[in-house]
Amino acid sequence: MRTPLSSGLAAASLVLLVAGLALRSWQVVLLALPPIMVLSLGSLFPPAKPRLSAVRTLSRERAEVGRDVEVKLVVRNDGPTLDLIEIVDVLPREFVIISGSNHAVVSLERGDAIPLSYTVRSLVKGDFRIGPVRVRSLDPLALGAEDAVLPIDARLVVAPTMEDLRRTKLQPRRTRPWFGQVPSRQIGAGTEFWGVREYAAGDEVRRINWKASARLDRLFTNEYEGERSGDVVIVVDARRESFVGTETDNPIEHGVRAALGIAEHVLASKNRVGLIVQREVIDWVPPAFGRKQLYRILDHLTQVRPGGEWPFAYIAWVLSRFFPRDCLIVVVSPLEDRTALTAVIDLEARGYDVAIVSPSPIAIEWRLGQQRPEDKTAYQILRIERDNLISQLRRVAQVVDWDPATPLALALRRIGRWPRPA
Amino acid sequence: MASTRLIPVALRAAPVVMLAFLVGWAMLDVSTIGDGRWSAALFAVLLIGIAAVILSALLHGRRIRAIGPIAVGAAYVGAHAFVLGVQLMPALVFLSVLISQVELRILAERFSPLYEAALRPDERTRIHGALGRAILRLMVAAVLSVVVPVLAADLAVAGIVPATTIPTAIALAGALVAVVALLALLPSLSRKAV
Repeated sequence: MRTPLSSGLAAASLVLLVAGLALRSWQVVLLALPPIMVLSLGSLFPPAKPRLSAVRTLSRERAEVGRDVEVKLVVRNDGPTLDLIEIVDVLPREFVIISGSNHAVVSLERGDAIPLSYTVRSLVKGDFRIGPVRVRSLDPLALGAEDAVLPIDARLVVAPTMEDLRRTKLQPRRTRPWFGQVPSRQIGAGTEFWGVREYAAGDEVRRINWKASARLDRLFTNEYEGERSGDVVIVVDARRESFVGTETDNPIEHGVRAALGIAEHVLASKNRVGLIVQREVIDWVPPAFGRKQLYRILDHLTQVRPGGEWPFAYIAWVLSRFFPRDCLIVVVSPLEDRTALTAVIDLEARGYDVAIVSPSPIAIEWRLGQQRPEDKTAYQILRIERDNLISQLRRVAQVVDWDPATPLALALRRIGRWPRPA
Repeated sequence: MASTRLIPVALRAAPVVMLAFLVGWAMLDVSTIGDGRWSAALFAVLLIGIAAVILSALLHGRRIRAIGPIAVGAAYVGAHAFVLGVQLMPALVFLSVLISQVELRILAERFSPLYEAALRPDERTRIHGALGRAILRLMVAAVLSVVVPVLAADLAVAGIVPATTIPTAIALAGALVAVVALLALLPSLSRKAV
């Protein structure tokens, strides 16, 4: 590879040559020789082509957003002695180097190895690849360079952080036949007292209500409210228009955080959870129970990037074909378009139970803006528009208007039990 | 240890001192020009070069940094080619020092951070070796870039080669163009061969 200096020297010698010929001065022609001599020497001793091998190790292959990961890279010279080489371990642009360096300029003899050690942190979730290693062998006269790429990649999955919703009451209203923790308003196996009926053969002795039996001189048995489980489908709106703010502070990132928290909470209460993500493609995970399902959802949420121009109503199509009808749908959307209103009305009309968590895009914009008087006016107008939309939505669904600067649990606690009992 | 600390300082200082020396030399030569217009024009070129060097140092601008040595060289060569007449030996030394200054600056940029970082003894030895080889090569290039043109001039003056004929000039020009073209194409040719 030619450097600007070698091009500059070639240009200078040509200029001097032409000037010497134009001025008919052999002395000026001879002045073209020094740059040519330097270029000739550089061509006679070009930088050696690097032949290197490298090994990279990561302290962990999965990490949470904001968690430090140590990277160790050892580059070994398998070729000729390299007077000066520049080594760069290529990192995704979302990564920040906390300590150490992914870059080194060193001199490597044949068989020598150079260790590079550094700590990185990702401020956004994603499935990242570290590498390849780029190497440039430099010419001492800076007239040329030889590049090489060592194709070693390391995968690092950075999972989103999770909203803590442990103290929140969040459960589906409609239940299914499986045992769970949701009161079903039907007689069944449970712990909450429901009523008393006359004893029937086969009833457990420990369920006999002795006080009622003594008073009425006949045996009576306690009945309990059955506790069952239900289905929750989380819909994450990650369309391009929902992206407002920065790469780390935007409704989609906060929405993913909320969706993961809700999924964890609902799965912990022995319910089934499904997921639909509206991004460049419509991506979904069918409802299922348990820890494995949480990891499945986490994997899908890790891939979420803003994209796609889908109308919000497409969700109804996916729901009606691939998800059970009597589930609770939790829509996580910044509600940037007014078609959300018609889409939610449509879902309600189809018999779905809908709740909405809306990370406020205007709160994010207000925080990131300069907060001048004119910004304040604009903020107030947008606030009124958003309040109008939310109050219209509240007629058909329960809506949580969430400022992502505060914990989601706080916003949910303000509205009490969520979603409201029928 | 002390020498290791001194090397980056010396490396960083050397190009600055050399450039100051070249600017002083060029100014001295330009100031001897009697013609006011030529003198003013060449001083202006020199001042542009000095301004570019200062601005690039303040703004860390790599693009304007190249203007400095180019303007200083242009002022010197212009003064001698158009007004004062070319004295071959000083002019060759000037150009050779100017090229060395640029090379030294690049070496300083590459090697100073290495010395400023904490180095293990074996690393220090390797870096010392690499720097020594680079400086040796630079010195050889600087000496050759003076000696070879002087030898060529001596051959011409001695009459072995007829220096002032049109065919010689054309042959020389053709040879130089061929060399420059070859040098420019060499890296891409070698890459294709690989």
